[in-house]
Amino acid sequence: MKPEPQDSLYVRFHEERCTGCAECLKVCPTKAIRIRQQKSVRFVDQCIGCSACLRVCPAAAVGSITRMPEDIGRDHVAIALVSPVLYAQFPRIMPGGVLMALRQMGFHHTVDMSFFFEMFQYAAAEFIRRNRTTREAPWPLISPACPVVVRLIAFQFPSLLPHILPVLRPVALMAREVRERVIPEYESQKQDVVLYYINPCPTKSTSGQTLDPHRSRCREVAIGINDIYPALKPQVEKVLSSDNMPFSWTRFEFETCSTADAAFGAMSGGEIARIEIEDSLAVHGLKETVDYLNKIEMGLLKDIEYIEFRTCREACLGGALAVVDKYIAKRHVQKMTTTFGMGRRLPQDALLRQYEQGRFKIDKSPDVLRKFFSSCKPTLSLADAERIEQLVANLGNHNCGACGAPGCRVFAEDVVLGQAELNECIWLSVHGLVRGRTG
Amino acid sequence: MRGVDLYDHPPYARNLADGGSNQTVCRYMASLKKFFFIKARDFVHAGEASIHIQNLLKSMHLDPALIRRIAICSYEGEMNAVIHGGDGILNVNIESNRLTLEIIDEGPGIQDIQLAMQPGYSTAPEEAREMGFGAGMGLPNMKKNADDILIESEPGKRTRACMTFFLGLTKEVQ
Repeated sequence: MKPEPQDSLYVRFHEERCTGCAECLKVCPTKAIRIRQQKSVRFVDQCIGCSACLRVCPAAAVGSITRMPEDIGRDHVAIALVSPVLYAQFPRIMPGGVLMALRQMGFHHTVDMSFFFEMFQYAAAEFIRRNRTTREAPWPLISPACPVVVRLIAFQFPSLLPHILPVLRPVALMAREVRERVIPEYESQKQDVVLYYINPCPTKSTSGQTLDPHRSRCREVAIGINDIYPALKPQVEKVLSSDNMPFSWTRFEFETCSTADAAFGAMSGGEIARIEIEDSLAVHGLKETVDYLNKIEMGLLKDIEYIEFRTCREACLGGALAVVDKYIAKRHVQKMTTTFGMGRRLPQDALLRQYEQGRFKIDKSPDVLRKFFSSCKPTLSLADAERIEQLVANLGNHNCGACGAPGCRVFAEDVVLGQAELNECIWLSVHGLVRGRTG
Repeated sequence: MRGVDLYDHPPYARNLADGGSNQTVCRYMASLKKFFFIKARDFVHAGEASIHIQNLLKSMHLDPALIRRIAICSYEGEMNAVIHGGDGILNVNIESNRLTLEIIDEGPGIQDIQLAMQPGYSTAPEEAREMGFGAGMGLPNMKKNADDILIESEPGKRTRACMTFFLGLTKEVQ
């Protein structure tokens, strides 16, 4: 497996803009980036979509895979799946107003994710409460809501996979509901359906392909909040300035949003605030997440029952594709919540019935993820490991990055695996320990 | 500082019975040795050696559950040396079929090893307990997670804990 200047599933790479400044090199948590011929290249399989490189790149050479489609609602049924972060981008307007503005833009349906977030929170609380007696999963349980965290665990902390809460993620609940209740009607009428995920982060990997061969009429497209913001802003202004709300017809209960605190779940700590578990933590930030996962792996934090991990600072509000700054967005959400209070929209007894039926249970084992990620990492033999240790001891350990690898240890690994030449190390060349670079 | 006691362990015992000596064993078996210094009372950097070992083992694709057991043991051992011991050293030795962790500290030693092995028994100072350490689960946890554990102590001088994990024959043996 050689690194190539290729787009990963989540991140697009503009080679012509890359200046080879190596800023992205060291921030990558999975060490998936190298510099070759003064351009950054990546091991695409190792990308977990954390968007650390996207944030740090000064030349904007790293972008997300999301895009703004030109033809929303033209000759197809457009369904917007809306992350609650979108509400936090517009102060002074209720979440329901933002959804209305989206419908003005041409979306036929708008699906409010906070509805499913509440569902997820209920199921999570129920599972944790039962787990105290059944001991089905080990403490501390880890929130599955952030997909980057799940991939990070599968990639770097596979022993922690049993700690992931075995409840369907809010996005999965939403997708299932749409697939079961909205799409079939249009399919029977032979109409094309496109699901538009409006996201603050580039973690939705599909872009325009059909997922399911049996559902050739249904496509999925990921849109970043920054992609849709310019077009949505005037619509929001229109909704705000109009005295009487334009008539808008919705058919499903999840199509509009009546509460003001919908974006609360996108804040750090927003997930555990409603779960009402005493011993819970909210950890946000990439480095902090890695630190805490290390601690859990070493057997610490056993007295905590639930940890909400988000790899972005200030959780989803700080997503790489959000428009409004995370702290300002947070203030909007807090203002809305203090003004209108927290509300519940879902009847608890109906949720309990669904829980008993196993509707929230995760349907595929996390081992799938683990196999996927362990297959893309090269295995080192004991002799390789020994050679790497020797090399690291000789390389000077300055971690300068001039060789194109994020650090001496990674460079040594690359050398042993045959992906780099020892003479690429400047430190060794300067000291005359290897023959200098050729050509 | 004495190395891991080779004579205690079955693979070597067999080799020695065959007439092989220590050196020949080492020549035939690839092995990886690393050591880390542990500084007493340095709670900020405590655990770094364990994370290093963890990452090393992950790159060798050992069984995740086994890595976790090793990580727990190395962390507990490291913390013991940080809390109780004077400065210490953590040796790790990886061979094709087993891994040994050896933690030696120049601390006060353990007066009664039997007692120290009991869950909940702790002699940790108040300073460590305030930080959430010293719950008296260190040695019991190590015993629970290691395949084999040997603790030696000379009260007043030093303590040596040696833990062995059997790796099973992994694919690197060629």
